[in-house]
Parts: sequence; C-alpha cells; structure tokens
Amino acid sequence: MNDSKVLEIRNLTKDYGSKGFSTTVLKGIDLSVCRGDFIAIMGPSGSGKTTLLNILSTIGRPTMGSVWLDGKDITQIRNRELSKLRRDKIGFVFQDYNLLDTMTLQDNIALPLALNGVPGKECIERSEELAGQFGLAEHLKKYPYQLSGGQKQRGAACRALVTKPEIVFADEPTGALDSRSSRDLLECLKGVNDGGRATILMVTHDAYSASYAKDVYILNDGLIQCRISRGKDRKEFYDRIIEMQASLGGDFS
Amino acid sequence: MSMTRLALQNFKTSARNYLSLVVSLAFTILIFFNFQCVIDSDAFDVLGEKNRRNMDISIQVITVVLICFMIFFIWYATNVFLTRRKREIGIYVFMGLTNQKIGQLYMVETSLIGLSSLVLGLGVGMLTSQLFQMVLVRLSDIAVEIRFRLSLGPVWRVAAMYLPIYLIFVVKGYANIVRSSVLELVSASRKNEFVRQSTGLLAVKAVLGVGTLSAGYYLALKDGGMEVMNNVLAAVVLVIIGVYLLFGGMIPLLVQGMAGRKRFLYKKERTLWVNNIIFRMKRNYRTYAMVAVLMLCSVTALAMGFAMKNRYTEMEHFRGTWQYQVMGIQDGLDKELRGIIKEDNEIACSGEIPLLLFQEDVVESMYEHRGYGALSWSAVRGLAREAGLEFSVPEPGDDEVVNVTQLYLMSLITNKSDITVTIDGRPYRQVQETSVPYLGIFQEHISFYMVNDRIYEKMRPLGAEVYLYNYRIADPENFAAGRDKLKGLHDRQPERYQGCTFADPTASDAAWIKVLYSICIFMFMVFVLASGSILFMRIYNDAFEDRARYTGLYKIGVERRVLGRAVAHELLFTYAGPFLVMTVSSWFSVHALGKVMSTDLLAVNIVSVLVILVFYTGCYFFSLPFYRRNAGID
Repeated sequence: MNDSKVLEIRNLTKDYGSKGFSTTVLKGIDLSVCRGDFIAIMGPSGSGKTTLLNILSTIGRPTMGSVWLDGKDITQIRNRELSKLRRDKIGFVFQDYNLLDTMTLQDNIALPLALNGVPGKECIERSEELAGQFGLAEHLKKYPYQLSGGQKQRGAACRALVTKPEIVFADEPTGALDSRSSRDLLECLKGVNDGGRATILMVTHDAYSASYAKDVYILNDGLIQCRISRGKDRKEFYDRIIEMQASLGGDFS
Repeated sequence: MSMTRLALQNFKTSARNYLSLVVSLAFTILIFFNFQCVIDSDAFDVLGEKNRRNMDISIQVITVVLICFMIFFIWYATNVFLTRRKREIGIYVFMGLTNQKIGQLYMVETSLIGLSSLVLGLGVGMLTSQLFQMVLVRLSDIAVEIRFRLSLGPVWRVAAMYLPIYLIFVVKGYANIVRSSVLELVSASRKNEFVRQSTGLLAVKAVLGVGTLSAGYYLALKDGGMEVMNNVLAAVVLVIIGVYLLFGGMIPLLVQGMAGRKRFLYKKERTLWVNNIIFRMKRNYRTYAMVAVLMLCSVTALAMGFAMKNRYTEMEHFRGTWQYQVMGIQDGLDKELRGIIKEDNEIACSGEIPLLLFQEDVVESMYEHRGYGALSWSAVRGLAREAGLEFSVPEPGDDEVVNVTQLYLMSLITNKSDITVTIDGRPYRQVQETSVPYLGIFQEHISFYMVNDRIYEKMRPLGAEVYLYNYRIADPENFAAGRDKLKGLHDRQPERYQGCTFADPTASDAAWIKVLYSICIFMFMVFVLASGSILFMRIYNDAFEDRARYTGLYKIGVERRVLGRAVAHELLFTYAGPFLVMTVSSWFSVHALGKVMSTDLLAVNIVSVLVILVFYTGCYFFSLPFYRRNAGID
C-alpha cells in the first residue's frame, strides 16, 4: 500500500441471504483513499452505500475482497483488534449524533481520549481546541438536550476527530439537520480537511453535502459507476453532481 | 381483537419480562401467608396460654409491619413497571387507541400479573408453611411436633389484604395513563432533562441531611431517663429523613463534584460511570435511601432478636438460681428446712441472708417501686460465694448504695449515673447497679440497696429484719415434690416463717421471647432479601434504558470489556452506597438498642453487616450479567 494511502478497498463483494437465495449488494468495489482526501459516496437507495460503510467501519464483514487500513487487512483481523482499530484509527459521525445524553458536551468530546488513557490535561486541551474550531466553545458545559441538532452534530464531529484518526467515516451527517446547520457542519469538516487534519469519507444522498467533498463517487447497483472531482468552484461542482444524478436516474433520497 | 385478548397475548409474549415483578410480588405474599399460618397453627399452644397470647400480639404487630411493607413493595413494583410499560403500550396511541383503552389494557395486564403472583405466592406458601413453622420452632428451641395442616383462613385473609391494595395501585396506574399526554405516553422513559442538579439546592440538602443525620445519631446515643423513648422515636424519624437527604443531596453533590474535576474524571472509563451515576441519582435516590433504611431495619431486627435471646437466657438463669426461698422471722432455721427438702430432693447448694425490709415512706427514689429493702455488703458477698455467682461489687462508702435489681426485658432508662436515693431523709449516691440474681426471683419483687455493714447496722431501726433461706435442688424436674410441704410452713408456724417463694425451673412462661427471637431472624432475612430485590429490579429496568447509549458507544469503537468495566463500577456504587450508609447508621441503632436491652450487641452488628455484605456481593455478581444483557453489551 502506498504511503499516502490511508484506505484501500480491493474487489469488495457482499452477499446477503443463504445459498440459492442470496442477493449481491456489493459487486467488487475498488477504491483508494489517500491522506487529506474528502470523499463523498452517493447513490440511490439500495445501491449498497450503508453496506459499504458498515464494512469499512468494521461493523460488517465482506463476502469477498479486502480492506486495507493502516497496513492491515481489516477483513482478516480478530474482533479484539478490530475494536482497537476502531478506537484508534477511525472516527465516526452518525446521522443521529449518538452523543451520550448523560454527559456534557465536553465529556462527550473527550470520551474517546479518556478511554484511550490520554492524560486528563491533554483531554481538556484537545476537547477545548476542537470545540473552538467547531464554534462550540461556549457550549462545552451543556448537555445534549440543551443543544440544537447542528450543535450536537458538530459535537459528534469533534468527538470523531479528537483522537486524530487516520480516517473519519460520516454516515449521512446532515440527514437530520436543517440547511443552515448542514452548512455550518460541512464548513467545519471542510475546514479541518483543508487544514490537513482529517481524511473524510462521507456517505450521503444529498448533492449539496457532497459538493463539499473533493471527490464524489457514485455507487449504483453494487458498483462504483463514476467519480467526479471538485475542481475550484463548489457551485459548479454541485451542478455537475446534480447532472450526474439525473443521468443515472433512481431514487437518491 | 378484544382488549382482554390483546392483554392476554401481551402477557403471554412478555412473560419473561414480567417475571421479576411476579416473583417479587409472590415473595411478599409468601411471607405474609406464612405468618398468617403461624397465627392459625396450634403448634405453639404447647407453650401455654400466656405465651400464646404474647406471641399472638407480637405476630399481630409484625403483621402490621408486613402490611406496611406489602403496600410499599406493591407501590414500588407497580410504579417501576408502569414507567416501563407505559412507553411500550403507549405506542398503541398511533393505532388510534384512546388513553382510556390503553389504560384498560394496562389494567388487564397488571391484574393478570397480580393474580399470577397471588396464585404463585399462595401455592409456594402452602408448600412451605410447614417448613417455615418447623424452622421457627427449631430456632426457638421448642420441642413441638409440627403437623401438616391446611386451613383456608390464612388464604382468605391474605387474599383479602393483598387484592384491595393491589387493585388500588392498578387503578392508580390506569388514572396515570388516562391523564398522560400523547407525548408522555410515547416517551415516558426518555425524560433525560436536567441530568445535573443545581449545586446550590444540593448543598442545602447536603447540609440539612448531615445535620439531621447527626442529630438522629446523637439522640440514639444519648443517655437519659423516661425521655429516652421520645429520643429513640425522634432518632428513627431523623435518621430516615437524614438518609433521604444524604442520597438526595450529599452524595449527588460529591459525585457532581467528581465530574466537575475533569482531570480526575478523564481516567479511562471513569468518565462513563461517574456521569451515569449522576444521571441515575436524580431519579433513583429515593430507591437507594429506601434500600438503606430497609437494611437498617433488618440489622436492627436481628439485633433485637439476639438481645431478646440473651435476655431470655439471663432470665432463665435468674429463675434457676434458687428454687425454694423461705422467709423466716429468725435465724437458725436452715437445719429444719433442709430436713423438709431432703425428704424429696437432694440440695445442690444453699445459703441464707438477712434482709432489712423498709417501712413505707422510708425510701424516696426517682422511680416508684413496690417495696424497698437493704442488704449488707458482706452478707451478699457470702451468699454469692455459696451460690457460685460472680461478685465484683466493691464495698460501698458510707454515703453510697448499690442497687440490686431485677432483670428487665428492656429498660428505657439508659442514664444510670447521678442517681440519688434518699433513705430516712439522708441522701445516698447510687454508685452501681447489679442484676446478678443473688436473691433469685425474690429480687423481682423488691428493690434492694446494698450498703456497707456499718450503714446496714445503722439502718436496722428503719425496718424489719428477716432471714431469707435459699435452696437450689439437684434435680429441677423434681421441683414440685417438696413445694407443697414448704408452702404449709407459714400456716403451721406463723411465729417462725413469713412466707415462701418458688421458682419453677420447668415453667416456660417467657418462652414467647424465644419465638420472637426466631421471628426477628426471619424479619432480618425478609428485609435483606427485599432490599436486594428492590435494587435488582431497579438495575434490571435501568439497563434497558442504557441499551441505546451502549450501542452507540460500541459503534464508535468502545470495546465491550471497557463498557463492562464501566457497568461494573456503576453497579458497585449502586450496591455499595446504601450498604455503607446502612453500616454506619446500624452502629448507632444497634448501640442504642444494646443500651436499652442492657446487652452488648456489637458482635451481632458486625455479623449482620457481614451477612448483608455477602448477600449484596452475591446480588452484585448476579445483577452484572442481567444488566449487560439488557443493555446490549453482551
């Protein structure tokens, strides 16, 4: 694996069901993610986006193929190591935030660091630093129920980034947000990506969210159909994504 | 589908979830039923009418305690169940069911649970009632054969007591559902607002709690006269309030303080369990306080049982010291009396002692007594030597007396210092009190003051001097044989003999105390089991609430063993918190009881706390897998 490559997917296949009644959801995906990439994967419903993300997140296992992360084929390693890998190398952002309602925002952000045994002082500094970047400095002492959806999702992004993971997987991060909150979150993600501090792989059905990525891969019928790169203008990139969606047809919601 | 059929179907499919509720309700019924069977049983008739009456009164009192316990337990169990069930059946609101219909569904389901519990409780109760009585008899050391007998009386009484109480709580649950808003029904268990409580309010509660508890402890230990009863009652109320405030104020304040110190908090999984405890404290503090109070009751009940048993043994000893006591007007009657007794019995030991019986109004003491007398110190020492009784009373000074008193079952007067007795207008300081049975049961009739020999001589003109001849026979079983001959002495020779006192060693008119002892042990077990099952029920239900949290954590890469460790710490706190509060409080309550009962109960205190520790450790390890399973960690 190339040094700058963070993640490499080779011939990834996934079947569901038992013999004779199986459905192939992923039909041999090949994809490389390099350090500093911001990739969006789009596709209509049933195209295999969630299955792909589950396998990459080590939550699901493929039927065939390999996924190389940090020099290891994650499809071959044991559960214990997988947990360690998830904890140390991967950051997650979910559509429903998954913040713990029993903790303050700061405790939520610092949680992965504390669990990794990082000294308290460093946990505090890093959580405050990231919260500052994501415009949450004033909300650190609040509980999730005291925050808006956008603030919660930015908090979840901070939590994903606080361990400085090799890659962040974002599963429909704007799915539950209004347009303004979505924009705030995406601007923040783009900011940390542009600053070279995060490699992001985002699954989304929303063309607007995808337009913040550097590259968009369109997944359809279990295969990557095409790749669109941003160039300089985000608006123009957005138009191209919409065009591509239209040409492929199907339900992208 | 009709409401009843739907409820039946729910009941069948969720039987496993209802199990904890059914078992705990059945448990209370079982206990109640067994006590009712004791009231009905003829097993204890052998103890005689007086014992039987005392025992029935004791059991009636315990029945009242058990009814209170049953009300509380049903209230608690149905409340926990309602919170959980409300959200599960609240979903029917989306299917167009009205609140009334959902309420009816709840009522039918809960009634089924109530009836199943009743049937289970009574069924197991019928099977175990004989065993229960056998254990009771065995613990009480009474030789009775228990026959298996089934009477319907206890069944009706238990059903008549349980069903209305249960019905009230079912209706209460129905009213709660009917009055709930749709939002409440759908998200009944998701009210996670105000996780952290206001520090100011907590501080006020903490100060109040510590103050109340300290006042309670102080009153429990304070010595006093008749006001001790009021002190004890006030101490009970203050300790209960104090424990509630401790769990509602002090402990959350401490844990919130821990969470506020981030450098301390961010240590591995500590951040998870400390925050979870803060979250739980808000809702569960009443449960923790309740459990601590229940355990406190259990330890005190056990201590009470042991104190009763100790006292009973001492009372037996009191009565066993002398079997025949004859009061003569002159000395030198021993030979004649020996001759009479020896006709039927062998004398194990004997001794005589002069007594000075005061005329009325000679003695003024703090507490009125039936009669007063004086004993000379050296005469008592001599008699003690004859009887083989311990004698550790130093010779009183000229202005000092030692009170030679009877043995009370319990004495409210715990302050025995600074007592002054006035005899013939002269004050004497009471330096000691002894209940060693030098004069056997004669001590139960008259209160004696032991004075030094000079003072005794001086006191002689104040009363009449008589001689008490004491005899212990070798075979107590043959007690009745010589009694009648001695009884007639006073009639035959009134110029020499004044009367006789007999202590029948075979009479067991205080045997009810032994039964009470075993009932106290039983109450201890009931309360401990109940407190453990309340915590278990709470934990079992709380775990469901944590499922979403732990699933989310697992998804972000938190290992199951880390989650397991966090859970282990949280549950440890849940069990250890009430246990520690109980341990500290029990020292005060048992110490106070020990003083009232004039016995040292420290060993009982330590043993009962250790028994609870072992039981709670078991509960803790038993709860862990359930919690992990319900929270989706395993």
